[in-house]
Amino acid sequence: MALLVDIFGYLSVILHGLVIVAQSMTLGGLLFLVFLLHPLSSRLVQGDALEQRIVRLTRWSAWGLVLAELATTALQVSVLMSTVDLPFSNVMQASFAVAASVKILCALAIAFCLGQRTMARSIPRTLLLLVGLIELAAATATTHAYARLDDNTLLMLVEGLHQFGAAIWIGAIPCFVVVLRHLQDADGLRLVGSRFSRMSMIGVACVLLSGITMWIFYVGDAQGFYGTAYGVMVGAKVAMFIGLLGLGLGNFLVTERLRKGGDASVTRMRRFAEVEIGIGFTIFFAAASLTSVPPAVDLTTDRVTLHEIAVRNAPAWPRLSSPDHDTLAISQLQTQLDQDAARDHQVTQSATTPGSGILPPRNAEDIAWSEYNHHWAGIFVLLIGFLALLSRAGMRWARHWPLLFLLMAAFLLLRSDPEVWPLGQEGWWVAWRDVEVAQHRFFVLLIILFGTFEWSVRTGRLKSERAALVFPLLVAVGGAMLLTHSHQISNVKDQMLIELTHTPLALAGVAAGWSRWLELRLPGRGGRIAGYVWPACFMLIGVILLWYREA
Amino acid sequence: MQLNRRVAFATLALLASLNVSAHAILTDSTPKANGSVAAGHVALTLKYNSKIDQGRSRLLLVAADKSETPLAITASADKPNELDSATDLKPGAYVIRWQALALDGHITRGDLPFNVTPAP
Ligand SMILES: [Cu+2]
Repeated sequence: MALLVDIFGYLSVILHGLVIVAQSMTLGGLLFLVFLLHPLSSRLVQGDALEQRIVRLTRWSAWGLVLAELATTALQVSVLMSTVDLPFSNVMQASFAVAASVKILCALAIAFCLGQRTMARSIPRTLLLLVGLIELAAATATTHAYARLDDNTLLMLVEGLHQFGAAIWIGAIPCFVVVLRHLQDADGLRLVGSRFSRMSMIGVACVLLSGITMWIFYVGDAQGFYGTAYGVMVGAKVAMFIGLLGLGLGNFLVTERLRKGGDASVTRMRRFAEVEIGIGFTIFFAAASLTSVPPAVDLTTDRVTLHEIAVRNAPAWPRLSSPDHDTLAISQLQTQLDQDAARDHQVTQSATTPGSGILPPRNAEDIAWSEYNHHWAGIFVLLIGFLALLSRAGMRWARHWPLLFLLMAAFLLLRSDPEVWPLGQEGWWVAWRDVEVAQHRFFVLLIILFGTFEWSVRTGRLKSERAALVFPLLVAVGGAMLLTHSHQISNVKDQMLIELTHTPLALAGVAAGWSRWLELRLPGRGGRIAGYVWPACFMLIGVILLWYREA
Repeated sequence: MQLNRRVAFATLALLASLNVSAHAILTDSTPKANGSVAAGHVALTLKYNSKIDQGRSRLLLVAADKSETPLAITASADKPNELDSATDLKPGAYVIRWQALALDGHITRGDLPFNVTPAP
């Protein structure tokens, strides 16, 4: 059961993340249309066609918002109806349901009414903006701010500002990328580029201002930052925010050069913007997982101390030899059960029931087993990064590095579930019923797939440009997933200490994925630099894994 | 039909736990967690870190014999972060299984175990 709850908990975070993405794209698209594209469109060569494209993109985002919001609300409403035994009509009067209904209505209004005709006249245009504003207000009623005991008005304004900033900055980037792709003339690029960079500066200012205020009210002090799940997630958001600022600065320099009539790389601006979308959306999912943990200021007990972090992360040699399989808690329990059965002349019971969700017993050897797995995985990843670096530096034989993924997959398949065949006595097929085992196997399959895939790309067996993008996308999405995994485990502190190593892993994964993306998509010096960055990220992941400890 | 409904409810009850660690957390309570009170008419107070939708939250009293009794929640506008109730209790071990809906829509659940000692 616990595992299922975990999965559903994760599902609710994902749904919430989708809501945030769709909302920012809807609002961002609206702002992009009203304040950038419509005023400029008469001066752009294909202005009309571009406006049509962005209108369509924004309408689709609004539909996405309708769907995602419907799904999350349906989930919450049905949970309340069944657990508190309330009728539908009652639950729909709860403030979150009212807010959700308003959001859905606003999104529907945008989806139906947004068009070039409404854009052309100033009153309908203003009305649409107003609808967007109402949607934003309703959205703040489902944030922490609304349920805080004090300072509700201030906090709600701040949350609204935060979401507004995110919409204008990140939510509008997809529109920007679309426009960049279709604009050819230098004049048009200069106009759009400089206005967009000014708009995004406003967005950054909003995010920064509100972020600092929220830090004061929700994180509080230094220990709230490093000692709670909330603080660590905020830290991840800040790290990615800084990354985005760097990319934004790069784009700003390009637009400045264009504005002064100079010659600058529009391709670089486009590629940077693509990466900004990727990292920005990752931040949205991190934000979604933030709403499922209590703000750090409220969590005054169970915080992790610096001392505990230091003890856990004190340098230690990696575990390169495995504990004996017979010493694992499950094996020992099984031996015990077997002896009991033999004594009582009964059929042997199995120590674990796949799919029951009852957490298997755990002893020191189990921890050693898990650490050994992490450490060897670390060696694989370190090696992969190193070979990729050699290959980048010109050693041809090293281009076969993706094959190491296959070895790693075999290692994980063998060791990640010691109670399952071939090491354990549980059958291969029966074990599918265990969600965790199924997850592990799915993960192994994924590694095999993308290892083979990347190898085919590297050795020229696969020549499609799109195929090459699969590997970086999977790495980036993997990093994002690791960042947003649900935070539920019985021992909060232990979970926190593990999470403290998982978050840098996730960030390095996100960085690796997107720098590999840049290497592929960005010609010239920028791409070459990115080509050294991602193997370095891989090596960093390897080192963090080698450092990983569970006790 | 009956069975289907039950399966559906079980699934939903499962979904309800989806915000097990969501943001409404118990900051204080009477009786305290693992604390004890004297038998008789006992006032129960659960205090949270955020505003709670009192009408859409639930308190369930679980006795040592696993019998469950829903407790009526006294709505009070001046204590927006509390779930209050009162009931007559005999000596023994009890658990209050609470489910709180925060005003921002997050559902949280938890257990509050306590003991009732014989009246002096
Ligand atoms: Cu909340």
